[in-house]
Amino acid sequence: MRNRMLRIASALTLATVVALSVAVVVAQTPSRPKAPPKTATSTDAAIEASAEAFKKSVELKNFTVPKKPWGEPDLSGVWLTATYTRLQRPQELGDKEFYTEAEAIAEYKKAAESDAEVDPRTVHYDWKEYAMDAWQGGATPNLRTSLIVDPKNGRLPPLVPEAQQRRAAAAAAARERDPAAGVKTFGNLYTRCVLGLGAIPLVRGGMPGADSAATAAGVTAEAFFFQSPGYLTIVMQSNNDVRIIPTDARPHVPGQVRQWLGDSRGHWEGTTLVVETTNFSDPKPATNFLGSTDSLQLVERFTRVGPNTLRYQYTVTDPKTWTRPWSVDTTMPKIDPSLIYEFACHEQNYGLMNVVTGTQIREREGTRDMRGGTFARPPE
Amino acid sequence: MMRIGWTGFSAMVAAVTLAGAVAITGQGQAPAAGRQGGAAPAAGRQGGAAPAAARPAQGGRAEDGKPNLNGVWQALTSANWDVEAHQAEPGPHPEIMGAWGAQPGGMGIVEGGTIPYKPDALKKKQDNLKNRTLVKVTNDPHRFDTGDPELQCFRPGVPRANYMPFPFQIFQNRDQIMFVYEYKGSMRTVFMDKHQEAPVDSWMGWSNGRWEGDTLVIDVTGFNGHQWLDRAGNFFSDTAHVVERWTPRGANHLMYEATIEDPAVYTRPWKISFPVYRRLEANAQLVEFNCVPFVEEMMYAPIGLYNPPNRSSR
Repeated sequence: MRNRMLRIASALTLATVVALSVAVVVAQTPSRPKAPPKTATSTDAAIEASAEAFKKSVELKNFTVPKKPWGEPDLSGVWLTATYTRLQRPQELGDKEFYTEAEAIAEYKKAAESDAEVDPRTVHYDWKEYAMDAWQGGATPNLRTSLIVDPKNGRLPPLVPEAQQRRAAAAAAARERDPAAGVKTFGNLYTRCVLGLGAIPLVRGGMPGADSAATAAGVTAEAFFFQSPGYLTIVMQSNNDVRIIPTDARPHVPGQVRQWLGDSRGHWEGTTLVVETTNFSDPKPATNFLGSTDSLQLVERFTRVGPNTLRYQYTVTDPKTWTRPWSVDTTMPKIDPSLIYEFACHEQNYGLMNVVTGTQIREREGTRDMRGGTFARPPE
Repeated sequence: MMRIGWTGFSAMVAAVTLAGAVAITGQGQAPAAGRQGGAAPAAGRQGGAAPAAARPAQGGRAEDGKPNLNGVWQALTSANWDVEAHQAEPGPHPEIMGAWGAQPGGMGIVEGGTIPYKPDALKKKQDNLKNRTLVKVTNDPHRFDTGDPELQCFRPGVPRANYMPFPFQIFQNRDQIMFVYEYKGSMRTVFMDKHQEAPVDSWMGWSNGRWEGDTLVIDVTGFNGHQWLDRAGNFFSDTAHVVERWTPRGANHLMYEATIEDPAVYTRPWKISFPVYRRLEANAQLVEFNCVPFVEEMMYAPIGLYNPPNRSSR
């Protein structure tokens, strides 16, 4: 509930905007806004449309990548990072790497319908009323059973000992005191409006059946790819995080320059843009992606494989966190309209104030519960 | 990587040469400098072999023949402290901030020297100045009544973003031009292709652009009314309409002009202007300035939300 509340608070600002972005027609006829498309109001219509788009993309052969006037492959547009596909393969699927087409559509249907469903006893905020469920935004089925393709079992490699110790220490601290009792100790960068919900890497996997749309697949998950000669600039809808990626193979910034989004450098290998990112900061009390450190290195590969499909692969390396590098292979669908709206999160972050205030009240009222471990949760 | 090892002037010449080459490879046309008459950028006239790898062109013409504004730019004015002419002053908390916190004097960027405020608005400007460091975090819109938005790491709006003491980068293609500002990483897209009314109010406004000869003209509306123009409390309201004019005066500088119209605040439209310079360092790039963590203690400590409560006092 707590987590849902914060996401809500941050998302509320955007709700109107997202509603508008669904009703694209507003752009052309501001005086007569039309009803939202059926795919935003009916799960059946949305699932059918997604399945159609998915089949078309699977069948597509011999796609020639369009080029920008200055010669670089065209990756521009708004790509959706939301997906119901899990990062890690469910254990019961073992080594099954791919679904059949029919299975993939069935999985998508199950995930979308569960996303659309709300439990009236616990619901605080129905995301689909704001068109924020992933099935309303153009998420598509996936033949893969997990985003992770290496290791072969589709699961994260084991943690190195120092990462296990970090995780245990964070869990112990959280049992002792809820980190959200003060901004200084509150490691949730999104709630603090420091970062959005995932600019690097872009696609992080879903948890079908989770009770918030953000956890189920991702919200405000639009990535605006702006191309100009020698640059790919990615602007995320979430928090408007900006990644500027020069593609001229210039060297990285010096090691002492650390950044929340790292320092990205790109180069073209055929029609694939390869982006290497280093120089991540140590975001204490938060961590980098999935508990990683400032030793994190990311190599992303972007390839346009269809008019509306961008293949997105990445390899994560952090010797201070995992025993070996691991890799993801997935796709992002292209969605309309091709623009991004302002996401002024920190400017009116009611959510942070309410969450911290609420946590402090709970701490005052629930000392015994805290010692009992009520607030224990996995580290953020 | 063609730039490594080149320094100073030779790097600049090389960049200019490459700009021309990119223009040629882009559309198979001769470099188009001067095609549209007017104050054509000087770059782009020289030919040269096409570069093996694409690299950002500097100056000259874009592939569609328009002036090429791609690059890292920065204004050199003290207008962010006060857009009107002003003398040097100690800053807030001189007892600890000394000369670091002091503000530089400057000639101002306002045409005619003075902003034509209506009487009530002038009073509000003076109140703003008085309360510029009064940060009030609340759950209601009164939080925007006092305190310079810049102090709180809020988006700066337009035109202020263009003369803050930070670089910004312009990314240009035929349909859209994007500005990314180092301060807060705030950004805006200028729509050259399809113009529309602002769909929603915002800090950075909604930008529709067009070329008038070699001048990029941008119409900015849809402000939320919380913007300040500087640390001195100059401001406009949500009815403001800003028209910017960006005109290349050579490969490495632009003239910037903006007309600010807001019948709720001013008696007439008024203008600002200043030059904007290209950052010529070979390794020029925007470095993250995510200021949210820099302001959290200032904003949340006074209301007891920054440090977790002291258990012993419970």
